[in-house]
Amino acid sequence: MIIDLCGYLGHWPFRKINNNDAQSFVKVMDEYKINMSVVSSLNAVFYKDTMQGNEEITQDIKPYSDRLVAFSVINPAYPAWEKDFATCIEKLGMKGVMMFPYYHPYRLTEANAVKLANLAGEAGVPVHIPVSIINVRQRHWMDTNDVLNTGDFISLIKNAPNTDFIVSNGATNAIASAAKDVDSKRKGKVYYDIQRVEVFNPAFDSLMKAAGPEQIVFGTGNPLQYLDTQFVKLQYMNVTDEQKDMITYKNAAKLLKLN
Amino acid sequence: MQSFAEKLKIFKNNKVVNWHEHVWTDAKGNLNIPEADLLVESAKKAGMDVLVCSLPVTRGNPEPGICRKYNDYVYEAMQRYPGIIQGMCYVNPGYAKEACLEIERCVKELGFIGVKLYNQYFISDPAVHSVIEKCIELDIPILEHAGRDNSLPVSQPFISDGTHFAKAAEKYPEALFIYAHIGGGGDYHWSLKAIADYPNVFLDISGSIYDEDLIEETVRKMGVERVMFGTDGSFSSSMGKLLGCKLSEAEKIAILNNKHMERYLERGMKK
Repeated sequence: MIIDLCGYLGHWPFRKINNNDAQSFVKVMDEYKINMSVVSSLNAVFYKDTMQGNEEITQDIKPYSDRLVAFSVINPAYPAWEKDFATCIEKLGMKGVMMFPYYHPYRLTEANAVKLANLAGEAGVPVHIPVSIINVRQRHWMDTNDVLNTGDFISLIKNAPNTDFIVSNGATNAIASAAKDVDSKRKGKVYYDIQRVEVFNPAFDSLMKAAGPEQIVFGTGNPLQYLDTQFVKLQYMNVTDEQKDMITYKNAAKLLKLN
Repeated sequence: MQSFAEKLKIFKNNKVVNWHEHVWTDAKGNLNIPEADLLVESAKKAGMDVLVCSLPVTRGNPEPGICRKYNDYVYEAMQRYPGIIQGMCYVNPGYAKEACLEIERCVKELGFIGVKLYNQYFISDPAVHSVIEKCIELDIPILEHAGRDNSLPVSQPFISDGTHFAKAAEKYPEALFIYAHIGGGGDYHWSLKAIADYPNVFLDISGSIYDEDLIEETVRKMGVERVMFGTDGSFSSSMGKLLGCKLSEAEKIAILNNKHMERYLERGMKK
């Protein structure tokens, strides 16, 4: 069983991407035997009103409701974001919130960002913050030059103590080490994906040490990145079968409240 | 449908030459033996047969004595793992005379198979001409640290991108240049477009970037015969991008052991 917590549907403005509609995305999942994927809307990241993207993706995944779960993209610096959040969770049935402070004009230390994270905690849904969507070294000249600021992130988790967070697509081993003390005092937990953590050198071991297998999850970045890289890691990571199950689906199932 | 374990067998069932790896120094400034041991152990586990290694100075402008010491460490690693680790001689082209003498020493006495350049100069800078001419004379390839890094602030002002390689390749059509780590971060579309029409520019696929379509785009632009396997510290990403790309099995095998480069390896093995 595999649950992929980091997938996207929609258009990426800065290079051509493939398999970014729900139907072809699910075909790729079949090829890699991924049972379920969490997806969010790339369009929503770039639309001024993210709700247009959230509504689109909700419609797009309807035929695949047993395979695809949508997270909402909320910009807490835009009018009526609280109403958007409530609509996404209560009416559209979205299972989590994506925050992109490097694409939208706010910092994680600001009041509205903290409020959004706390609302997610109260609603019992996780907040997912990718370190970046693509590596900034290859960014288009009109794309952002920023990534997740670790200090701001640690401040956010401190200020939203009951909320579960997911951090993906970055040096999550380093972030887990930096956030460990703060996270250990929280009721909510931070989950880290392995997308950019190497298993052939000490990086993965350091993530295991900082986060433990209970807080490590599987994410691919599909369709922006080759999936095989993550499967190489599953093949070679030095963990027990039980730990691997936690990483590939058990922790995600808990976060998504799946039976 | 092929299982992933089956898919991985391409590494075990074929000769795999990793054209981009490194050994490094430890805190005391000696060869970091535990790290070199881990590298070789990991390579064996993953099914890689040959590791072409160098030890470059990644910051500043090193004096020739440092380059010589680092090349001696690479040689120490070659001795520790004969037939597995092959050496690339690192020099600073700014010290042209000493660099050429060091290349001679490494190739003729120690059995190194090529030259590694880092980011001290653009590959097209006239300061590099003597080194390129020495490599032509000795018939060895030049692996140059490369990338079109669009992030700000600029961290490596003299890192070569595809346009620098194109200039050098045009001036020296008889030299063989290797554009390092097309997946090493940076605008690979930019560099691929720049080097596509220069048959004496090859590249390795190493690096932590594994964007979907990276390898397909590389082969569309370069042809499979100019593409080499490498990891540069990123085994999972480099293996994954080769496994995940939509090339034929034969094309993937051709990248895993680029036949055009075989003669350099054979020369190193004879030493």
